[in-house]
Amino acid sequence: MDLAYYPGCSLKQSSSLYDLQNRLVLEKLGIHLKELEDWNCCGATSAGKTDDFLAIAMPARNIGIACASGLKELVIPCSACYSRTLVAQNYLEANEALKEKINSGLSKKIEGPVKISSILEVLLERLRSGVIGETAIRKPSLLKPVCYYGCMMTRFPFEVPVPDNVENPQGMDLLLDAIGLHPIDWNYKTHCCGASAAVNDPETAMALMAKIMKDAFSRGANCLVTTCPMCQLNLDAHQNTLLKDMGATERLPVLFITEVLGMAMNFSVEALQIDRHFIDATGLFMEFEELGAEKKS
Amino acid sequence: MTSTLRFKPVNAKPFIAEVMARSGQNLVLCYQCRRCAGACSVGEETGYMTPDRLIRMIITGDRDQALDNALVWKCVSCYTCGARCPNGIQTGRITETLKKMAKEEHMAPREPTVAYFHDAFVHSALRWGRVNEMEFMALYELRNTVHHLREQKFGALYKEIKAQASLALNMTQLKRMHLTFLYVKGRSEIKRLNKKFRKKS
Repeated sequence: MDLAYYPGCSLKQSSSLYDLQNRLVLEKLGIHLKELEDWNCCGATSAGKTDDFLAIAMPARNIGIACASGLKELVIPCSACYSRTLVAQNYLEANEALKEKINSGLSKKIEGPVKISSILEVLLERLRSGVIGETAIRKPSLLKPVCYYGCMMTRFPFEVPVPDNVENPQGMDLLLDAIGLHPIDWNYKTHCCGASAAVNDPETAMALMAKIMKDAFSRGANCLVTTCPMCQLNLDAHQNTLLKDMGATERLPVLFITEVLGMAMNFSVEALQIDRHFIDATGLFMEFEELGAEKKS
Repeated sequence: MTSTLRFKPVNAKPFIAEVMARSGQNLVLCYQCRRCAGACSVGEETGYMTPDRLIRMIITGDRDQALDNALVWKCVSCYTCGARCPNGIQTGRITETLKKMAKEEHMAPREPTVAYFHDAFVHSALRWGRVNEMEFMALYELRNTVHHLREQKFGALYKEIKAQASLALNMTQLKRMHLTFLYVKGRSEIKRLNKKFRKKS
């Protein structure tokens, strides 16, 4: 099955491991990703904060490209890109006049429906159809994860259909359950990591990340699992400084959902580039248990 | 915060109307239950300023304070306030709107680094079609440096350079720095649209 794919800027740069993991894992599940041709930046939160027109027009061009591709579904693994594109689509459906204006300048116009999905929606569909059960053959048994969803999977600046519980999302927990891991329940699933404040207002971002890390530690987790490249980079890259200031000696690797699933599907640490984390995560993938036949049926 | 309430409907009305139209939020539904205040991610960083108080400021027409306060500039757009609001008011959209209005009125941003960051990001995205992390960070740090030098904040400048250099070094070691340049062939489509419509939207 073919799906349209929007990687976004960070998956082409600092989080290129996530791009690669998405391709490997989804291919294994029988999904061929067709990258949108000549896609542009979604504008992220920055456009939302500085320019209302660009905040809609930038993702709109990508929706037009997806419409022209003829594919019915567009998967966007980056939470910020997913949120901005989904919001733009719904905003333009409600504002026909703006849609016409924007369409007048696009070579590939927004016409016809395209379903915009997060990586979790795509994976959960394959969980329901049983494909994940068939391809995931081993459980990375050292992992004691907490699932970290962040802001943008469930909270939006415009009314859009939200596919998970807003306050207590379950998508990632269900996926990890399916490979025999039982994610630890905690309070900071949807709290904010500070996002770009890590650069432009570090005091605020560090205070937010400290709360997240404290709860993860106090629950006995040994890693965080996320879908958002911004959350991943923030909690990974700044954790050392943050925890040193807090006097903690332990560190918690911050994993993408795709590397946990990928390891369950028998990919290697090298193939998934798990060695590219700031906090070493390779030690978590030393032991595995075979997933029983009852899991596969 | 002033202790006496100075409310002039003549001043308040156009301001409320503008914020409501631009943010798409129906502010007058707010009945001050303060669930947003309890939800705010940056509540500990903003002193007395909470989303409900920001709404109150707008409704009472306190334009100057509404455009220039800690919440508007510390808000991380996590949208928790809006998710918890029983009346569906997304105050995150209001802080975004007030930032734009403050800029249009040429007010100096209370948190200059926040303004520089988002400006540099959008500038880079618009110019090349995609954000080049290194180019955009260089652009941001350049403005930041100029600001620090002008304010003679040498300690802060040293701290910033040290932090960014160490991050860059780490990222290079992990091959998370990207050296080839990203650009989009069709980027002029967005530039043209922007020129034609942004003022009128």
